[in-house]
Amino acid sequence: MGSETPPPPGGTNIEGRAPESEPTVETDEATITEDAELERTLGLSGGLAIGIGTMIGAGIFVFPGLAAGRAGPAAAASFAIGAVVALLVALPASELATAMPKSGGGYYFISRGLGALPGAVVGLSLWFGLVFATAFYLVGFGFYAVDTLAELGVAVGEGLVVPLALLFGAGFTVLNVTGTENAAKLQNGVVALLLSILAVFLLYGSLDALGVVGQPSAPETFAPFGSIPVLTTAALVFTSYLGFAQVATVAGEMKRPGRNLPLAMIGSVLVVGVMYVVTVFVATSAFGSDRLAALGETAMVEVGREFLGSAGALAIVFGGLLATMSSANASVLSTSRAIYAVSKDALLPQWASRINLKYGTPHVALGMAGGPILVLVTTGQVEILAEVASFLHLIMYGLICVALVALRRDEPEWYDPDFRVPGYPFVPALGALTSFALIGFMQPASQIIGIAIMLVSAGWYFYYARDVTLKGAL
Amino acid sequence: MTRVLVPVAVLEGESVSTGLTDLLGTADVTVLGYHVLPEQTPPDQARLQYEDRATEALEDLAAEFRQAGASVDHRLVFTHDRDQTVDRVADEIDARAYAITGATGPVERLLVPLTGDVAVERILSFVTDLVGGRDVGVTLFRAADEETVENRASLEEAAETLAAAGIDARTELATGVDPFEALVDAVAGHDAVVMGEQAPSLRSLVFGEETERVAAETVGPVLVVRRDE
Repeated sequence: MGSETPPPPGGTNIEGRAPESEPTVETDEATITEDAELERTLGLSGGLAIGIGTMIGAGIFVFPGLAAGRAGPAAAASFAIGAVVALLVALPASELATAMPKSGGGYYFISRGLGALPGAVVGLSLWFGLVFATAFYLVGFGFYAVDTLAELGVAVGEGLVVPLALLFGAGFTVLNVTGTENAAKLQNGVVALLLSILAVFLLYGSLDALGVVGQPSAPETFAPFGSIPVLTTAALVFTSYLGFAQVATVAGEMKRPGRNLPLAMIGSVLVVGVMYVVTVFVATSAFGSDRLAALGETAMVEVGREFLGSAGALAIVFGGLLATMSSANASVLSTSRAIYAVSKDALLPQWASRINLKYGTPHVALGMAGGPILVLVTTGQVEILAEVASFLHLIMYGLICVALVALRRDEPEWYDPDFRVPGYPFVPALGALTSFALIGFMQPASQIIGIAIMLVSAGWYFYYARDVTLKGAL
Repeated sequence: MTRVLVPVAVLEGESVSTGLTDLLGTADVTVLGYHVLPEQTPPDQARLQYEDRATEALEDLAAEFRQAGASVDHRLVFTHDRDQTVDRVADEIDARAYAITGATGPVERLLVPLTGDVAVERILSFVTDLVGGRDVGVTLFRAADEETVENRASLEEAAETLAAAGIDARTELATGVDPFEALVDAVAGHDAVVMGEQAPSLRSLVFGEETERVAAETVGPVLVVRRDE
């Protein structure tokens, strides 16, 4: 790592507490502090599972119907735009993560690269961004749970979507507080299973869509509503790509971070992006976008039925349940890590990151994730929840790119990333630009809620921790 | 000198019996305090809260080993994966063996199983260094399908090696029974077990490491001589 030690963070918050910091030495297998070592236990497959597992839920299983209704067959292009933006951010994020392989992710890079105020705004609104995202995943889960019951012959109607989502949201929180031993291994299994279900489905669907098997489908105008809806749809479905940066939040626990972090982040965006684009293409060619739109959040089930009969429908229903669950669970965990990162820097009270010795889990932070999630789930507003989550993440992604440019411009001694962005400064500049631009295509309601959350976060910083300085510190 | 790693679940109140501290009095000891966290908790978060408490407990343990005559250092690791941590630290400090702590009184006789494909020379030289001229007897144990000349001879040869170093060595050959059962039965009358680390196998994947099963069955401490990489 760098030859010169960076300055420690400074200042104290309203309670007189300074950011916690200790000089560390990072090796490929552990982080070594003065008195203790922190083992790095996540491999590349674990990192990929976090990235893919967080992302794969919403996009494939909830959005095709909604997106096709807005943009027609060009919904596939909307997903492609989302993938390009995600990739433009994943590259700079990878460089920063290899330069600072510590837990905290995007918040950490921004607070160190740009300072405490942007850091606090991003850190606190990331907490809410994840809360919105999780609520969105849970509502999606509710739709799939209702469909599962229907598929099993118990028609309960959409009135049960929210209660089921609430039940599972509460369940996840409790499960995480009492300690889900082997959660990561389970997550790996779920991701592998999902990828196999989708691979079969996509293979068959693509052959069908191209007219190799089954009926040739009627050609449809690619973008019946023009290009603006393609962009607004891209803004909506960007929630599908919120997982890759979660890989950076576990950077401190990843073995060989210099190699595994970029591979996991960029790899998961590529895998998921290709899957999304092909899925939406297949779905729109199976049904035509009008019928897809009418089927709503669980349109994919009918697409599955169209191709492979009730077995196909069952596989998609099952996949949808697993996928939304895996996204929701991964996001609850990320939320508690986000709270820990800001609390460690004295931007939130220290008790927020307490862990209990009985279960070894951060019960306070998990509660601060679970509570607001349940409140938001009761709204049942899929589109608003998804867009606000995207809004808050896009702000962070844009600022990650800005932070990279800022750090590279006066490169500090300690800055020595193993991975460097190709095409600097164009890639990060484009990443920032596209991230912020995508926000412009959202519904006004989502933009207002997003801006309000950022203002409240800034207000909190000025009230609670205005003396804390983090810029340039490690 | 002989370096032995002693992993201890330090925040769960695991301690080391005086019998084991005395036995390791001839060695260089690294006490590895570890704390295993569920995946939802970053190791650093636990460090902030528990580092001081864990370090204090580790220093007390180190003092006990020092009193018994060993030269001691200690390390503290927060981890999600205990076995990975033990392997990494054992590699870094080049430990010849690691200990599975267990309850025992004063150690007067060691049981050293030499069943199967184990590095007999490494085990014997470790035992010789560990006993180090003290009045500790050794029983060499081997389980086999039947009594053959080779089985008996290999045990006798090992006993002679130890006897040459001034150690009171006996031999015991168990035949016709399940090797693991025979080993557990043989532990009675011994105060600790020294055995070789086995290569990972399907069997150990299903039933767990034999060393850990021996420790669990017999309650006493087990010293595991690491494989030559």
